[in-house]
Amino acid sequence: MHSDYMLMKGNEAIAEAALRAGCRFYAGYPITPQNEILEYMASNMEKWGGTFIQGENEIASMSMLWGAAAAGARCMSSSSGPGYDLKQEGISYLSSYNLPAVIVDVMRYGLGDGEITEGQDSYWQAVRGGGHGDSRQIVLAPASVSECAALTYEAFHLAEKYRNVVIILSDGAISQMIEKCTLPPTYEHDKDKFDWTLTGKPRGVKKNKVTNLDRTIGREAADTIMKEKFVAMFENEQRWEEVMTDDAELVLVAYGISSRVCKSAVRQARKEGLKLGLLRPISVWPYPRKAFEKMPDCVKGYVTVEMSLSTQMGEDILLACKHSKPLYGHLTGVRVPTAEGLIEDCKQILAGKVKPVEVL
Amino acid sequence: MAKLEKPVSIIKPVGYCGGCGHGVIQRLIAECLEELGMADDTISVVDIACSYWSLEALDFDAIAGPHGRCAAVATGVKKVRPDKTVYVHAGDGSSYVIGLAETCYTAIRDIPITMIVVNNGIFGMTGGQLCLATTLIGDKTLSSKKGRTKEQAGQPVDMLNVFKNFDVEYVARGALYDAKHVDQTKRMIKRGLENQRDKKGFSLIEILSNCPTNWKMTPVEAAEKVKNETEKVFPLGTYVDRGGAK
Repeated sequence: MHSDYMLMKGNEAIAEAALRAGCRFYAGYPITPQNEILEYMASNMEKWGGTFIQGENEIASMSMLWGAAAAGARCMSSSSGPGYDLKQEGISYLSSYNLPAVIVDVMRYGLGDGEITEGQDSYWQAVRGGGHGDSRQIVLAPASVSECAALTYEAFHLAEKYRNVVIILSDGAISQMIEKCTLPPTYEHDKDKFDWTLTGKPRGVKKNKVTNLDRTIGREAADTIMKEKFVAMFENEQRWEEVMTDDAELVLVAYGISSRVCKSAVRQARKEGLKLGLLRPISVWPYPRKAFEKMPDCVKGYVTVEMSLSTQMGEDILLACKHSKPLYGHLTGVRVPTAEGLIEDCKQILAGKVKPVEVL
Repeated sequence: MAKLEKPVSIIKPVGYCGGCGHGVIQRLIAECLEELGMADDTISVVDIACSYWSLEALDFDAIAGPHGRCAAVATGVKKVRPDKTVYVHAGDGSSYVIGLAETCYTAIRDIPITMIVVNNGIFGMTGGQLCLATTLIGDKTLSSKKGRTKEQAGQPVDMLNVFKNFDVEYVARGALYDAKHVDQTKRMIKRGLENQRDKKGFSLIEILSNCPTNWKMTPVEAAEKVKNETEKVFPLGTYVDRGGAK
């Protein structure tokens, strides 16, 4: 086997890609179903010359991360569900400090302790700021093990490009499935390459002060930097995949595990003469609005396919298509959708027997 | 007698209240780093509360850790920059209350940083509320207006009795109410920094200070209170010295 291909789990692919991307600081706390990321880092970080710390909690892990990021390291943490709640303090602070870091959210289903199984009902939490205050994080949603590796690798580059947090939004299914994974090349990060990091400078050299809302330049100037960053990320970082949308009557919209089922459903439906297509957001923030701008006129509506009770992503679809088409929901909650169920739903929609979603 | 020079690391005046100990502590840190020849490779981590001013006053690379997380932030910095001097200047609320877990586990991991904790018995920056770890029984604060009681908030805790149980390099407590104690405290800070220079483990120096503004006292009255009341609850001295006295 070629050394750049491996059979591995989604979580392992994230961890291996992070190490290959030059991540040399990881701090995290165990929670299912993301434990393999932490365990992989514990087993492998040392041979890459980096630091692994099992934090006393998620909050402390995030605090260690912003120290490491401020000191110039490429760094990462990961969590899931209730643990991700605790990460949000750190995400807000990292954002305020303009510090680059990669945070992985392997979604599990449900409120509170919820389930340890796959889920997609943390979409709002991941894409709507990530903590208190007004901030934006690039959020990338892989749909395969190879993409876990590719997007994680790219996430470190994006984090540095914008001095911003980038979130990998995976789920229990993508994280636990085993597939052939194409691995990225190794990249050695130079922790001294930025002029804003803490290096411990001698007398006479201008020192760096890494602070909340960048108090060294004043609130107005800091806000301007932040706003310009939001616009640049929104303009430049929209990513998506389309499957048979050119002549589609109904376009399924799904990311992560649900999008894989949708892909099967589209192929199967086409054999039956049912014109379904799939639009898969790869970046869920910025949401791929550009993709919706060029959808054909023959599209009669969009179907948001999500493992949630609310049409969490549906709001973004309606904004992206400017409410030009009706939105239907195939919301499966704790269950992974099935291709058969989807096709049946779509037939009912095209027959006019299903109302558009009523609660956004 | 040698002329007392201001440390060159102090580059601007900042906004500590009159009579507050933070400014003295900041100066002692600068003096110690310069006397040890360590000022040129230092990164400071300050608490977002009163000690934040030190970030601007001192000519070091610096980061403001939010309330409670300084020890964890410093852990991240030290792991990435192991050859640099990393010290924390933080308050008792940050280090012993909201951030007790972070401070304890930084000590338990024996992270080689120097942590300076200012025990002034109150939450200063937020306007004078009770500090669960350090406000003395009977002391009136904005959140204990009739005076702290055990029934309301438990008793203050000598946290150094907790930290002395961990396998760390150095744990000590000093005070600032007269020149003799300022000098003793300076030696403690210096010891903590030397430990870091010598690649030894975690050092924690707690300093009994005062908060005349929120205690609603003159600086002299506040110093007397530390001497006559605070020190009885929080005894001065060395609690741990793993390497032994030199």
